Amino acid sequence: MIRKIPALAPLAGLAVFLLGWEIAVHLFAIPEFVLPAPSAMAATIWTEAGSLSLALAVTLAEALGGFALGIAAGLVIAMILVSAPPLEKAMLPLLVAINSVPVVAYTPLALIWLGIGSASKVTMVTLAVGFVVLLNMLHGLKKPEQGAIDLMRSFGAGRATIMWKLRLPAAMPSLVVALRVGIVRAMIVAIVTEMLGAYMGIGWIIFQATQQIGFREVWAAIAVSSLASMALYGALVWIDRRLVWWK
Amino acid sequence: MGTSPATSDDGQELPVIELVNVWKRFGAGSPSEVVAVSGVDLKIRPGEFITLIGPSGCGKSTLFNMIGGLEPCDDDGSILMRGRVQQDGELLGKVAFMPQKDLLFPWRTVVDNAILALEVEGVPVRQARERARAMLPDFGLAGFGDHYPHQLSGGMRQRVALMRTFLFERELILLDEPFGALDALTRAMMQRWLLDVWAEHRRTVLFITHDIDEAIFLGDRVVVMSARPGTIKCSETIDLPRPRDASIVTSPEFMAIKRRLLGAVEEESLKSFEAARADARRVGA
Ligand SMILES: Nc1ncnc2c1ncn2[C@@H]1O[C@H](COP(=O)(O)OP(=O)(O)OP(=O)(O)O)[C@@H](O)[C@H]1O
Ligand SMILES: [Mg+2]
Repeated sequence: MIRKIPALAPLAGLAVFLLGWEIAVHLFAIPEFVLPAPSAMAATIWTEAGSLSLALAVTLAEALGGFALGIAAGLVIAMILVSAPPLEKAMLPLLVAINSVPVVAYTPLALIWLGIGSASKVTMVTLAVGFVVLLNMLHGLKKPEQGAIDLMRSFGAGRATIMWKLRLPAAMPSLVVALRVGIVRAMIVAIVTEMLGAYMGIGWIIFQATQQIGFREVWAAIAVSSLASMALYGALVWIDRRLVWWK
Repeated sequence: MGTSPATSDDGQELPVIELVNVWKRFGAGSPSEVVAVSGVDLKIRPGEFITLIGPSGCGKSTLFNMIGGLEPCDDDGSILMRGRVQQDGELLGKVAFMPQKDLLFPWRTVVDNAILALEVEGVPVRQARERARAMLPDFGLAGFGDHYPHQLSGGMRQRVALMRTFLFERELILLDEPFGALDALTRAMMQRWLLDVWAEHRRTVLFITHDIDEAIFLGDRVVVMSARPGTIKCSETIDLPRPRDASIVTSPEFMAIKRRLLGAVEEESLKSFEAARADARRVGA
C-alpha cells in the first residue's frame, strides 16, 4: 500500500490541476484561443489521434535517436579527453565556446546543411545531448582521487583498466544527471527544430496549426508531447537506479 | 614458489627488497625544494615483519610509494628486488600495497572490493569471488560479503582493505598506518588479529605506524625514521617470543625495548615539531 503512494501522489496532483483548469475555463468563460478546456483538448486529441500519434512517433524517434547518439558521442569524447590531459586543455575552451550559445541558434545552419528531413533534427539533438553528457562526464571521470588511481596502478593496472574499473563507475552519478537533463533537452530541441523547418512531427503540427489559427490542435500537440516527455523521464528514473545500483 | 629461494653469491637468501641510498627530493632545484627522504639504506629479508616508525611528515608514505613503484626514487639511489635493480615503474604490480586510506570503491560489495587486484590480474571473476568468500571468516567478515562499504564500520572497512591486499599475492606487503584511524580498543584487537592472519598467510610485511607500542608488539624489527629529511636513525631487533598476546605489552622485556626506542622517537618528534613551528613563523613573518 505505502509503496504505491509515490506513484499515486503525482497522478492525484495532475488530476486536481486538470479539474481546476476545467472549472476555471467554464467559470470565467475564457475564450478558446486563449486557453481551451482540458475536455476540449482531450476531444481534439481523440479526433486527431491518427495524425498526432504519427507525429509523436516521428518526434520521439528523432529525440531518442539523437539522445542515444549524443550519449555515445559525449561518453567517447569525454573518455578520450580525460585520458589525454593536454588534449583536454587544448579543446576545452573551444567546447565551452560552442556550448555557451544555445544549441537552437545553430538550427538554421543544420537546416541549410542537412535539409528539413529527420537528419537535421537528429543532429541537433545529438549536439545538445552530447554536450550535456560530455561536460558532466569530464567532471565525473575525474572524481577518483589520486590515491585510488595509485592503488589501481600498484596492482599493475594500465590506463584502460583504470578507466573501466574506476573512472567509469565513479562517473555514473554524473551520467545520471546528464541523462535527466539530456532527455528533456532532446524533446525540446527536436520540437523546436521541427517548428523551424520540417514536414512532419509534433513541432511541425504546432507550427501548421498556429498558421491556421487551430489553437486546439496546438494545445493537443503540446499535451501529447508533454505526456510523452513525462513517460520518458519516468523510464529514465528506472534506468538511473540501475546505473547507480549501490545507493 | 616451487623454485628454490634466490640466493646471493655468499649463499645467503637475497633480501626481498633492498634500498640503497634512496633519496626523494620534491621540486628539486627550486627554492621550495622539499627533501622528503634522504639516503635510506634498508634490507628486508623474506618473511620478516618490519615496522617503520617516525614523526608525521618525515617521509614514510613517500618511501612506501617508491617501494610500491608509484614514484621513482632519485637517480643517486636504487631499489633492488631479489638482487635485481628495478627501473622506474618496474615495481608496479609486484608489491601488495595498502594505502593510508581504505579507498574501498562504494559501488563494489565487500567481496568485489576484495578481488579488485585479482580482476586487474585477469583472474576470472567467479574464481576470484570464490577465493575471497573462503577468506571472509579469517578477516572477520563472514556474512558481510554482499554488503556495500557504507554499511560497514571503520574496523570492518579496514579489514576489507587488508583482505584486498592479502588476496593480491605478492611476497612483500606494504601497510601504511592501517589502523591509524581506529579507536584504541579496535586497534588492539586488529593488531592481534593481524598477527594471526600473518602467521597463517606468511608474507613479508613492512608496516608504517606512529605508535611505538604497535611497532614493538607487531615487529620482528623496528626501524626508526628521523624527522624530515627522513633517514633511518636506528633499528632494533625485537626478539619477543611469538605468538604474542596482549599481556606482553606490560612485560619487563617489552618495557626495556620501549624505553630504549622512546628516546630516539621522541627526539625526532620534537625536531619535526620545532621545524613545523619554525616554518609557521617564517610563513607568518
Ligand atoms: N608530491 C609532493 N610534492 C611536494 N612535497 C611532497 C609531496 N609528497 C609529499 N611531500 C612532502 O614530503 C614530506 C613527507 O611526506 P609523507 O607523506 O611521506 O610523510 P609521512 O611520514 O607519511 O607523514 P604522515 O605520518 O603524516 O602520513 C612532507 O613534508 C610532504 O609535504
Ligand atoms: Mg603518511
